[in-house]
Amino acid sequence: MSSNPLLSVEGLTVQFFTDRGTVTAVNEISFEIQEEEIVGLVGESGAGKSVASMSLLRLINGPGRIVEGEIRYKDRTLFALEEGPDGEPRKREDMLSDEEMRTEIRGNEIAVIFQDPMESLNPVYTVGNQLQEFIKLNRDISKKEARSEAIRMLREVGISDAAERYEKYPHEFSGGMRQRVLIAMALACKPNLIIADEPTTALDVTIEGQILDLVQDLQEKYGTSFLWVTHDMGVVADICEQVNVMYLGNIVEQAPVDDIFYNTKHLYTDALLDSMPRPDRTVERLKAIKGVMPSAIDPPEGCPFHTRCPDARQVCEQTHPDLRDVSDDANIIHRSACLKHDIFNVNYEGSLPMTDETKRQANTSAGTTSVNETGADR
Amino acid sequence: MSILRYAIDRILQTIPVLIGVSLITFLFINALPGDVISALYADQALGEESIRALEERHGLNESFFERYLSFMAGILQGDLGYSIHYETSVTSLVLTRAGPTLMLTLSAFAFAIVTAIPLGAIAASRRNQSPDHLSRIVALFGVSTPSFWVGIMLIVIFAVTLGWLPSGGLVYPWRAPGHYGFDSQLELYVQTVQSLLLPMIALGTMQMAMLMRIERSEMVETLQRDYIQLARAYGVSERTILRKHAFREAQLPIITIVGLNISTALGGSVVIEQVFDINGIGKLLLSAIELRDFQVVTGITLVLAAIFVIGVVITDIAYAYIDPRITLDGGE
Ligand code: SF4
Repeated sequence: MSSNPLLSVEGLTVQFFTDRGTVTAVNEISFEIQEEEIVGLVGESGAGKSVASMSLLRLINGPGRIVEGEIRYKDRTLFALEEGPDGEPRKREDMLSDEEMRTEIRGNEIAVIFQDPMESLNPVYTVGNQLQEFIKLNRDISKKEARSEAIRMLREVGISDAAERYEKYPHEFSGGMRQRVLIAMALACKPNLIIADEPTTALDVTIEGQILDLVQDLQEKYGTSFLWVTHDMGVVADICEQVNVMYLGNIVEQAPVDDIFYNTKHLYTDALLDSMPRPDRTVERLKAIKGVMPSAIDPPEGCPFHTRCPDARQVCEQTHPDLRDVSDDANIIHRSACLKHDIFNVNYEGSLPMTDETKRQANTSAGTTSVNETGADR
Repeated sequence: MSILRYAIDRILQTIPVLIGVSLITFLFINALPGDVISALYADQALGEESIRALEERHGLNESFFERYLSFMAGILQGDLGYSIHYETSVTSLVLTRAGPTLMLTLSAFAFAIVTAIPLGAIAASRRNQSPDHLSRIVALFGVSTPSFWVGIMLIVIFAVTLGWLPSGGLVYPWRAPGHYGFDSQLELYVQTVQSLLLPMIALGTMQMAMLMRIERSEMVETLQRDYIQLARAYGVSERTILRKHAFREAQLPIITIVGLNISTALGGSVVIEQVFDINGIGKLLLSAIELRDFQVVTGITLVLAAIFVIGVVITDIAYAYIDPRITLDGGE
């Protein structure tokens, strides 16, 4: 990894203050995105991926708030806190104001593509109207220039009769075409980073393949970095270089894509991989991940995955593993948050395995330590 | 399909509706006890003979169907029948009375729209803050207070106590200034506005309250859409988001509500005309019912139904015009 990443996130924590209690949607995550790199953020829905990605733009709705961490983009501070004189955290001086975020970061430095292309365009304005508005705003060019730029980009993303389609309304486009429009919109603003939040999930497989190819071509051509948010390991394998696996608000594994797939170091990643079809493995049937993800309102203590982990031991219930480099190759950084690895030094081997019975208890009353009924053979 | 073809089609479709309305009104009115002759000559003791003669003259002795058919035949020629009480044609009666009613209803709607839309939008953008709470109180007051009571309160405060505005009667802008003893056209208009202010507010308050709540909830919903979040992510200012991105889609339901509420407002104007002593269609309708002047009642009902139906058609056309997703061929 180079020492000067495009974007770096340190200990980012986002909480939602709801009537039912505080929900930690993102729990002290750290990752980096290098120039011209596609970084994956993977996990099941509810893992906190979208919240994490939108917090990079400081766009968290309603009762949610970034409560901790530092986000740096190039040489600018998108978010940072310090301790004020009253002991309460306050904004650090170098943190950008809301107005600076809006005019200097959103769109022109970091753009987004959302999951649902049907919902991402305003139905009562023409596609061209919206493209032109965003391009004009973020590139500081005239309306006319924005228009020709928009048409050029539409052509670039493979829309034929671009000038004619420019005048059409979103409902006159198919889902795949709309997603192309949104990609054109993002690229036309000339950002250095694009956050793509499950951009192909709503599309069918053939269209998804086309869009992924298109993104790869354009990424090479424009040198844009991507943060690719998805639940689909297949998509990750296709386009990502660096991968972050999220579970219940935590990043549990972080490594280059090949190491994630062929040298998996976290049992949740294993489970995710087992649940997807892979060309390099033939299996009788795909295994769904056992159990459901616990609620973020009342997360399990210890390793967040222990309620579903096939290798969970009693120590997993007591110790929350942080993300540590467990790579045996000095050239590769491969981080995992699993106590099985020696580096955690918590005597995993000596701890008794959890039975289904104790796990079920942990499931129903997350956090309470149960020491009885152990030692059953597994 | 051109918008003109569409409009003509929709108008033709209203004809069966209007025929239905006329038949029902005719039926109900015939079921009412009392008749115009005895109401008209209540203070004179008429003999059997003269009653029959009068009935014959006005065609009241014919069968229900005969009367309905001749009424409909008249309609086709723009003739709404003959008022026995006023001794003139219903058409001309309605025409002379339509001006004040239209002026009152339209201004009430203008008042409701002009106040409700910005207030609702502000309430939505400051959700659960003081402007939102205030709008909720105003709306609750507006929808739960009968318009005649609002009218009476307005009269008590602004006409009787403060003496700022007239308590009743309308100054018609289409009359000559001299008719009211005014010197200039300008004075006439000023007086028109002054005389219209209180009845307009009285009639418009409920519409305003309703529209404001709908505007608020539509805006709240629209503001949560992905395309709004996308606009934010591209650095569009909150002001532009509110004015451009959220506003237009949020107005679509408002158009429907306004269209459908024309009938409510016309109904409301019957009461308000009474309170403010305005010689409109509503007042004419009430006295016609009292006098059992059925031709007038039927005629007015039909005119109101026609206005309502036309309102709905205009709504449809406006909707199709504003929402690009609606095609004029009927389907989506
Ligand atoms: S720490 Fe324990 S529970 Fe968590 S993944 Fe590793 S083995 Fe499983």
